[in-house]
Amino acid sequence: MRSKYQLLKVMSLNHSEPTMVFIARKDLKLSAGKLAVQCSHAAVSCVLAARKTEQRLLERWNKNGGRKICLQVESLSTLQIIAGQAQAANLITHLVKDAGHTEVPPGTITVLGIGPGPRRSIDALVQDLKPY
Amino acid sequence: MSLRSFIHRLSAPISSGLRPKEPVKMVCIVNTSLKMGKGKIAAQVGHAAVSATLKAGEKTPELLDAWLSSGQKKVCLKAVDSEHLLELEKAAINQGILSVKIHDAGHTQIPKGSLTVLALGPEIEESVNSLTGELKLL
Repeated sequence: MRSKYQLLKVMSLNHSEPTMVFIARKDLKLSAGKLAVQCSHAAVSCVLAARKTEQRLLERWNKNGGRKICLQVESLSTLQIIAGQAQAANLITHLVKDAGHTEVPPGTITVLGIGPGPRRSIDALVQDLKPY
Repeated sequence: MSLRSFIHRLSAPISSGLRPKEPVKMVCIVNTSLKMGKGKIAAQVGHAAVSATLKAGEKTPELLDAWLSSGQKKVCLKAVDSEHLLELEKAAINQGILSVKIHDAGHTQIPKGSLTVLALGPEIEESVNSLTGELKLL
């Protein structure tokens, strides 16, 4: 019997169509603009990380329209658990820490970006989450 | 230019003399007439930010570099409708500011091909502010 992590690892070797997800903390009650900016921080940082390790995946993702989805979690701890699982599955992750100039205190973790990565392995990680 | 040559350009050394000293920012202007959900807006702005970054890597690598090293300042503003966005785009092109339009593929929420977001920059703050100064924060 394979553990969930091993299974995810195997699945991330399989190159199905790439996707990217943002997981945002609903409990912070960010405004639409703030949320959008935090997600785009995650997007840009993930792309910069991907250009070092996953160039071909990044290129294919970008060519296919750069699929992005925004999901929600209720707490920081859930976010960190998902971040750990994604890292264990060898996916590109980026936790966005806000500089705290506006709505939240400095250093608050607001959004987790995962991907670009194979759609099946990312879907397996985030299938229980609701869209934001 | 392909993504690969963009990556090449990014990793190449940049002559420090060209690097601007003023603060640099990126502005994303959202079409509010479409009444998109928060998550939808976030994803669309994500598209815009990534495309603008890639475009800046081709056209204005010094600005991109300054923007990345100063913490990727981004601001999200409201526009009334798509005509408003097109006007802003025209003004940006006249001033030589990089602009990227995002059209939705129309899988969810809104019709295919709607103009959702206009991204400007990364560009020196003062020159962006002259264009977008009177727009409200989203």
